[in-house]
Amino acid sequence: MENPRDINSILTKGKIIEQVNLSNNYHKIKIKAPQIPQEAKPGQFVMLSKWKIKELFLKRPFSFYNIEPNLGTFDILYKNIGKGTQILAESKIGDLVELIGPLGNGFNIPENTRKVAVVARGIGVAPLIPLMLESKKRGIEIYSFLSAQTENLLLCSNKIESISRETFYTTDDGTKGAKGKVTGFLEKILKEIVVDVVYTCGSKRLAKHIRNLQKKYNFLAFVSLEEHMACGIGTCKGCVRKTKYGYKRVCKEGPVFPVEEVIFND
Amino acid sequence: MTKEVSLEIDLGHLHLKNPIMPASGTFDVRCTLLNENELNRLGAVVVKSIAFKEREGNSEPRTCETDCGLLNAVGVPSKGVEYFIKEELPLLKKANNIIIVSLLGNSVEDFCNLAEYLNKIEEISALEINLSCPNLNNGIPFGVNEDKLYELIFNIKKNTSKPIIAKLSPNVSDIKKMALSVQSAGAEIVTIANTFMGMAIDIDKQLPRLGNNIGGLSGPAIRPIVVRMIWEIAQVIDIPIIGVGGVCCAEDAIEMFLVGASAVQVGSANFSNPYMMLEIITGIKRYLKEQKHNSIQDIIGLIKD
Repeated sequence: MENPRDINSILTKGKIIEQVNLSNNYHKIKIKAPQIPQEAKPGQFVMLSKWKIKELFLKRPFSFYNIEPNLGTFDILYKNIGKGTQILAESKIGDLVELIGPLGNGFNIPENTRKVAVVARGIGVAPLIPLMLESKKRGIEIYSFLSAQTENLLLCSNKIESISRETFYTTDDGTKGAKGKVTGFLEKILKEIVVDVVYTCGSKRLAKHIRNLQKKYNFLAFVSLEEHMACGIGTCKGCVRKTKYGYKRVCKEGPVFPVEEVIFND
Repeated sequence: MTKEVSLEIDLGHLHLKNPIMPASGTFDVRCTLLNENELNRLGAVVVKSIAFKEREGNSEPRTCETDCGLLNAVGVPSKGVEYFIKEELPLLKKANNIIIVSLLGNSVEDFCNLAEYLNKIEEISALEINLSCPNLNNGIPFGVNEDKLYELIFNIKKNTSKPIIAKLSPNVSDIKKMALSVQSAGAEIVTIANTFMGMAIDIDKQLPRLGNNIGGLSGPAIRPIVVRMIWEIAQVIDIPIIGVGGVCCAEDAIEMFLVGASAVQVGSANFSNPYMMLEIITGIKRYLKEQKHNSIQDIIGLIKD
């Protein structure tokens, strides 16, 4: 039973201390808010606003891309696609944001895990990077499978290569790696070695492919889901996704779910 | 020493330490950021509508932000009344001494069964009747027909001794008629209003943004309409009014008191700022001091016809 006092999420202010345009509409922002990274785990997220409630009504959810408890900072990656991210993109060093976090359940790294695969498309890599760093720390071998429309949308590829045992790329236009399905590469690897866990984020299509491969090759698989959120803390029941066990809140029971529990009906 | 202003208020037989409480569906004692002390500073707690049996709610997407507002078609998922009593009520008891339970039903019988079932639970202070949820299957809420409204409230009253709060639907041409109807049926309090029916379209996908196509609009966008409705109702009924709709700061709540609300619920603004209700309580005290009033009661309904 949840109890109000067991929730370690807080409402706090943070300061923007770095803002980098990665590529096109993709940005990285570094925020100093010491209490949040103290508690944050890979796969969790924050609700963030850099606007007054009457300018833009709700906070927006962002996954942790980097968590640095010692520095009291965390990073998020975002794509400038709407009013909120536009305000964020126009923000300056020293600007304040309001945060609720850390929120949600993070990625589970089961004991005795030896090899994992991460599969992501575009900005979907963001929440997987802290997971990869944590896995690396635990001596786990990482195989990365990244896809994007085109080469410059393969975000953070240097960082991922430096953490991974092997990295595979596919792009829709063939500018880097192969054309075609990134899960094709994953299947090749699955045929050769035993992968204990596969992690993915964002893309329903990737998650569905992974679910199919899971039936064939038998591994644990987790997907971090995205959904519109109003509160981020479980109250509004707005961000649900259909699972084998009925509707589950992405913010509270998720955002990370076992792939086999999620019903992908499109 | 300056005298502390009083925010105490009576809503019929309910005595509240202050007039601020959450709107149903925007507060969940199982996942609030507020600790017990903070929860006890609220005038009351109001739970999300419960149905007799478990219901799963609408398909996703359930929410969508619009200009100055939030459109939702959550569809009142409920784990049912037994779960509520076993799992939520014990936490609510620690949270506040005034517990208002919102009820949902598809028929008069549904509502009456629930009201009767909950009547024996001492800790429940009042029942708020959700007359207006626009997300139900048949699409015709009780709240848009004054005769049905009367029949429902009248029958619920026969099944419970607890005070009845009728939460009206704003999706009507004359809100005064609805308020008069529930008053004559025996409601002790009215809440005005639930969300306004709305719709939003994704023009790239050429599809509705909500899984349920239509939903209820809340947020600052609706507040002036609700303020007008409170003012209209206050001229014609004698029972206390709880105002709700788009309140995002103390000033917004004060508007509602001035036109005749005795209490104010804070709704979707809680999603943006979980401490909003506490900030509003502090802000109201400040306003009363500045205006040299001793009590919140001094400003209720100052603006008349």
